Amino acid sequence: MPDAPELPRVAQRLAGTKVLITGVTGFVGEALLHLLLTRVPDVTVAVLVRPKESVSGAARIQQLLSKPIFAEVAESAGGVETLTQRIDVVEGDLHQVPALPSDLDAVVHCAGDVSFDPPVDEGFRSNVVGTRDLLARVAEVGAHVHYVHISTAYVAGRRRGTALEQPVDHSVDVEAELSWGLAQRRDVEHRSRSADLLDRLRTKAERTHGRAGLLSAAAAAEEERRSWVKDELVRLGTERARSLGWTDCYTFTKALGERVVESYAAGAPVSIVRPSIIESALVTPYPGWIEGFKMAEPIILAYGRGELPEFPASPDSTVDIVPVDHVVAAIVAVLANPPEPGNPVWYHVSSSARNPLSFRRLYATVRGYFDQHPFEVGGRGAARLPEWRFPGAQAVERLLVTSERAHRAADYLVTHAPRADRTRDIARRLDRQQRRLEFLRRYLGLYQEYAQAELRFSDQNTRALFERLDPDDRATFAFDTAVTDWDHYLAEVHCPAVTEPVRQFDEARRARKRPSSGHLDAVPSGGSGQVAAFFDMDGTMLSSNVIESYLWLRLQELDGGDRVAEIGRMAARLPGLVRAERRERSGFLRAVYREYEGSRLDDLDAIADEMLTSHVLSKLAPEAVRRVREHRAAGHRTVLITGAIRPLTRPLLPLFDHVEAADLAVDDDGICTGFLAAAPLVGESRASWMRHWAAENGVDLAGSSGYADSHSDLPLLQAVGKPVAVRPDVALYRHATKNRWPILDWNSPPTTSRTLNPAGAMR
Amino acid sequence: MSRPGFVLEVDDRTPPLVVHEGEGFRLESFPLGTRVVYPPETLPALPDVEAAISEALLNPVDSEPLPALLRPGMRLTIAFDDLSIPLPPMRAPDIRQRVIEAVLTMAADAGVDDVELVAANALHRRMTADEIKHIVGERVFRSFFPQGLLYNHDAEDRQNLTHVGLTDQGEDVEINKRAAESDLLVYVNVNLVAMDGGHKSVPIGLASYRSLRHHHNAKTMIASHSFMDHTRSHLHHSAWRMGRMLSEHLKIFQIETTLNNEVFPEPYGFLMKREWEWSIRDQASMLAVRRGLSVAPARVKHRMFHDLRAPYGLTGIHAGETEAVHERTIQAVHRQQLVEVQGQSDVLVMGIPYLGPYNVNSTMNPILATCMGLGYYFNSYRGQPMVRRGGAVILYHPVKADFNQLHHPSYVDFYDEVLAESTDPLVVEEKYEQQYATDPWYVHLYRTSHAYHGVHPFYMWYWAAHAMDHVDDVIWVGADPKSVRRLGFRAASTLTDALEMASSTVGPDPSISYLHNPPHLITDVH
Repeated sequence: MPDAPELPRVAQRLAGTKVLITGVTGFVGEALLHLLLTRVPDVTVAVLVRPKESVSGAARIQQLLSKPIFAEVAESAGGVETLTQRIDVVEGDLHQVPALPSDLDAVVHCAGDVSFDPPVDEGFRSNVVGTRDLLARVAEVGAHVHYVHISTAYVAGRRRGTALEQPVDHSVDVEAELSWGLAQRRDVEHRSRSADLLDRLRTKAERTHGRAGLLSAAAAAEEERRSWVKDELVRLGTERARSLGWTDCYTFTKALGERVVESYAAGAPVSIVRPSIIESALVTPYPGWIEGFKMAEPIILAYGRGELPEFPASPDSTVDIVPVDHVVAAIVAVLANPPEPGNPVWYHVSSSARNPLSFRRLYATVRGYFDQHPFEVGGRGAARLPEWRFPGAQAVERLLVTSERAHRAADYLVTHAPRADRTRDIARRLDRQQRRLEFLRRYLGLYQEYAQAELRFSDQNTRALFERLDPDDRATFAFDTAVTDWDHYLAEVHCPAVTEPVRQFDEARRARKRPSSGHLDAVPSGGSGQVAAFFDMDGTMLSSNVIESYLWLRLQELDGGDRVAEIGRMAARLPGLVRAERRERSGFLRAVYREYEGSRLDDLDAIADEMLTSHVLSKLAPEAVRRVREHRAAGHRTVLITGAIRPLTRPLLPLFDHVEAADLAVDDDGICTGFLAAAPLVGESRASWMRHWAAENGVDLAGSSGYADSHSDLPLLQAVGKPVAVRPDVALYRHATKNRWPILDWNSPPTTSRTLNPAGAMR
Repeated sequence: MSRPGFVLEVDDRTPPLVVHEGEGFRLESFPLGTRVVYPPETLPALPDVEAAISEALLNPVDSEPLPALLRPGMRLTIAFDDLSIPLPPMRAPDIRQRVIEAVLTMAADAGVDDVELVAANALHRRMTADEIKHIVGERVFRSFFPQGLLYNHDAEDRQNLTHVGLTDQGEDVEINKRAAESDLLVYVNVNLVAMDGGHKSVPIGLASYRSLRHHHNAKTMIASHSFMDHTRSHLHHSAWRMGRMLSEHLKIFQIETTLNNEVFPEPYGFLMKREWEWSIRDQASMLAVRRGLSVAPARVKHRMFHDLRAPYGLTGIHAGETEAVHERTIQAVHRQQLVEVQGQSDVLVMGIPYLGPYNVNSTMNPILATCMGLGYYFNSYRGQPMVRRGGAVILYHPVKADFNQLHHPSYVDFYDEVLAESTDPLVVEEKYEQQYATDPWYVHLYRTSHAYHGVHPFYMWYWAAHAMDHVDDVIWVGADPKSVRRLGFRAASTLTDALEMASSTVGPDPSISYLHNPPHLITDVH
């Protein structure tokens, strides 16, 4: 056997030590673990990892080590399990830091909230409280432990000019801010329950969801309240951060976290590493390695898709990007070079000082990349790339505000427009536009600060550290950010890496040949008697509504002039009825059914059998009938639920095991009183009836299907496990899209005459 | 004297010719040399219909006179053809009304009081009261319908079917019970085309699925050359066996009527004339109708056509023993419709009009359009088909996937489920026929609503089976490509394109024939 090669010095210095890493499941943590396992074989790694639901910490580490980048090291270790055993897993999280192993030599704290706009209490909890608690545990192990704190270069906040590797200059009272921040959740929760706010939310929810029933509206209002709480907490954090000179809650709490570290550093060896914007790897584990989407990717992808018309950046501002392998190499080098206790050292891992990348150049390179390798959008060839003219933040803001206003106006129109396929199509396009606007609003809001920052991060300490490295180590632990050739890195490494998953997804979608709308999986067979299918009638099974069906029935009893008069009378009532329908469906039904007053129920039945059967059958959507029959063939119970009166459902009786319709109340002579025998089955009462019926008949609702067309049927659809929206109105359409429910177009036969008087030709 | 049918050869003086295509028509310029087959001009109608009827009933063929067959206390049943013939429906009074009234008068004179009238609609849809009234007339309707003595045959009413026996080839003969148990069954037919009448009337019109499946199947129908010639049609052979067997059990008095070619009322009279003979008035009508059709919404167009009632005239009436009667009937039909043609063509062009037997007051869906073109028009020959084996057929029709859900519910499913899987009549039959024929929902709709029987679309497809077997290429001009593809055919936007597409089958310079119907015609291809 040949002599073992001489270990590089970093590895030698770390050999035999034990290092605890937090946040190992994150991007930086994972890269750091990889570098330690592959390049510093004699170090013992401990990790602090949070069990996630039923998955234990150790299992999560094993999952992590099963990833492709660890394949080589796992193989040489003799399998993932052996490799996992080499790692000391400490289960716990930063909200309740457990005692740490007593034999630690160093701790690298990578964990933290990486979202720029966390709710204020969460920002404080992870970035300040978490750090403080971890340090308390580190102190228990001993003052000799080298603590490496991973912060961010942007703790400099809104400062201008050169940021040095030293404490951020501010005089914020950390304790006061902390106690304020932690108290906000409780406070905002209280405020969210104020009568004024609740009233506003409920009124709004009832306006949109009232037709589905008050409980649905209440649920929507409560959801709104929760999201109000979240937004408010974010807003508070951002505002406080800006009032003190930081860009957002993230950098603000990170800066306060550094203060905590600084006070601890008085008696222990502490290094603080401040990377700037971390992006995909330049070399290790392989060029372009990236996990999840980081900061720039959403913008790059949106630009490539042609969805980002302009950006509020100054073209000459510097974008400070560092590849992740530079960051973790620097961390390892820092680990190997602990400072003296009481003399903490700051390290900027950043590019702006010696190898600045201007926004203009970033834009040109990314644009050049997409020119060469465009996205194919929706089978319409390469996406058109917008030309950015950098008109300044205010102009972009004006553009956005105008678009948002136009969108709100269009949205108002579409939700109040009469229901039609066209309306739904417009709604679909509006929703897509809204998603884009929301995306723009969010990202432009977040990034505008960074895109305009006129900061340069001095990296003298980092550079000095690099130069002190053994020449061999400089290759293994490369972190000289000046070597990055931006054109190469962006066009050859980073952009291909981040666009790859999107291209694969597009490819898969094309291969799947998206089934046209209206496609539905076959009815699963089996489960005889246990499963039911619930169908709404008007609008779902056939194209009609209660006013039309009232006229069908009523006109049979009348002659010539009376018919015209009746149609005229109903027409005059229409606006009122439509308003009633918007407000509440049951009120609307009651109003229509009042009109039946004085009719003989037996006559209605006879007319239905004689005259209307043909009309109803000819208006049936063939796909609907087929679907009902498929359910039957599969052994399911079929149920028709309708607000229409029972005589109108008679033609459909053979298709259904049970028909739940409105019964007109009659007096002793069999004359309709104009009232209903029971409250009409609409909105939530459908859901409760279904639950009752299912319980009585031993039907499993979770395995059952529901088919309905309007927002007021939402409870019906929500009650079953397999809801299907059929020619939905805009509100239901949106709900269905959001919840990924199938949306179908069941059309009544196109040549069916829509005459209001089906029997007319027979007379 | 009306002129006989003839074959025009298109030359440079030939004007564009009328080609029917659904609810509309176009004027098409055919390639030089195209043979255009025109039906004979309409024959003069019999001047005294009452007298002709009376003559036929009193002096029947191979039978005692009708009054001699009638006696008090007997059970008399009168069956009649349903609304599938004639096409278009006849302007009132329908010839069946006049014959039935004459029969009923004789029955009343003879003191017969047990009389029922049954529409011989087999697996066709139940007719509405109005439709029945149009056929039998107000008086008969009023006297029988409310009492339940005038009704549609129900081929799924097990209580009211009689299994009479088997033919010598083991075919079930099962017909309407009332008819089977009558002392006399009078059948009133309209022999619109040569395939109607004879033993097709009772054994098919009053039968059940159990009986019909013996001849309405892909194998038999591929081997029927053609349906318009009962001596060479396997379907008719089977019906004849059944009819002969039935006549041993049941006294049938067959009355067959034949009509002339007065198909279109004014202002559509120009459609029955030869284009180069159009008068100023004809041309004006044509322009007006075309203008109207181009601006009319679909629903109005539908009405424009479906409200047409043909001013048919009676050309003959024969009564008595079925086969002897039918012999004479066929002669009368041929006199009006037969055109002699010398030799086959490579390409046969046909325009499918708005109406076929199964979309009266309804919609011609893609399956019915196929049946009309490849089933009826293609088979409208004697001797050999107009197109050579391996030739191409070019059809004109929009072929929209529009279905009448009331009348054709099983068609929709046949189109979406069966044809999506296979268009081969044998495969379709083997795999799906039973399921559709016995489906309780279709049976329910057939019996209580106005739906064609579940198995009916299969029969339509079998009607077309001979043509599909005979030619190599079927191309639809002006059709919806999506629905045509579903049917297993191809679509072209113009005749030129269609011929270009057909050139791979029949070469670049094929011989072409165009059947200029309606009015009805039968080619006698030598």
